[in-house]
Amino acid sequence: MQLLFINASPRGAKSNTGILMGHFIRGFLETSGNACDVEYLVKHKNNLKILAEKFNASDNVIIGFPLYIDAMPGSVKAFMEALAPLQGRKEFPALGFMIQCGFPETAHLRFVARYCEKFTRRIGCRFLGSILKGGCEGLDVQPTFLTEKYFSLFGMLGVDFGKTGKIDEVILTKLARPEHLSAENMAMVVPFINQGLWDAQMEKNGVLDRSFDRPLMP
Amino acid sequence: MKILILNGNPPGGKGQIDSYIDRLVEKMKSAGHDVTAITLRDHKISPCIGCFQCWVKTPGICSIDDDARDITRQFIAAQYVILASPLMMGFPSFLLKNAMDRNICIVHPHLEEVDGEVHHKKRYDRYPVISLLLEKEADTDEEDIDILKDIFRRQAVNMWSSVGFIHFTESPVEEIIHAITVH
Repeated sequence: MQLLFINASPRGAKSNTGILMGHFIRGFLETSGNACDVEYLVKHKNNLKILAEKFNASDNVIIGFPLYIDAMPGSVKAFMEALAPLQGRKEFPALGFMIQCGFPETAHLRFVARYCEKFTRRIGCRFLGSILKGGCEGLDVQPTFLTEKYFSLFGMLGVDFGKTGKIDEVILTKLARPEHLSAENMAMVVPFINQGLWDAQMEKNGVLDRSFDRPLMP
Repeated sequence: MKILILNGNPPGGKGQIDSYIDRLVEKMKSAGHDVTAITLRDHKISPCIGCFQCWVKTPGICSIDDDARDITRQFIAAQYVILASPLMMGFPSFLLKNAMDRNICIVHPHLEEVDGEVHHKKRYDRYPVISLLLEKEADTDEEDIDILKDIFRRQAVNMWSSVGFIHFTESPVEEIIHAITVH
């Protein structure tokens, strides 16, 4: 089976999307004969035409990106617009998405996922599904006990996709937890993210006391 | 009222939206509003690179020094913002999305609970009401509009804004003037 994985993170190779992609592809390649090409959207930002042609020539495409204000990053939208001229062609890849966000709940990702599914139908591709995962900011600094379970689920998803050409709904459901946070979890998770992830970086940069600055105040 | 219109029509200025905005600006001015319309295609707005420096290094200021900085300044100064774009593959243009992505510096990285979900904390005391002015594509259907409305409402929550109107260029300019006046 052939797969084109487009890592559409604005951060390119050094991205949370890239970490998740790595686990998925590792699983995908376990089936002998499978081949995966990885393209980074940022490298194509000045000319999307070549990547659009490569998309069109593929059997399966997964586009991975982070949530940017409740939708796809502007650069991903630019690529989607670049695919518009291909609309209505006969030979099209099957298309899926891998979307992650920093918010701990998967609920934030459901809306852009609906758009991605509609986009897939509009352009005329068969829809593979959307792999959604919250809590993904700073994956490289998150402790292993938090990440190992779902990294292995991304691997299993890749293995399964490599064998069947389908994105397994059962694994998707497991990955999507928590869809929402209980009040108890929220009280635990929010300070963990605020202090552990954000304040730590601000402190390192010496700006913690200015974190609520309003430099654009009219 | 201080109104900002961000026009995301792509280069070449397709469709009816440019002339619609011209008529809208004229009517708004004669109704006594202080209105600025920015045609995004004439400005340099690089995409957000997700560096988060606007949160952790220079709080409230994007690391990219281009026209988006001034657009963000005008965004936060406005009482009412109209996001205008033709629909392209069922969504506003990438020009408009890039401009909106660059606005994350107007909120704070810290999370807090808002109606049972986690969202970012405020940076400023007040935020503009945001509205959508869209031009339909030939194949725009109810499902597209539902998806757009849902995403847009969520964007408003994350930007501490309230949702004004969602209008299409097929409705008369007067309806928008009315929607703003009664808001």
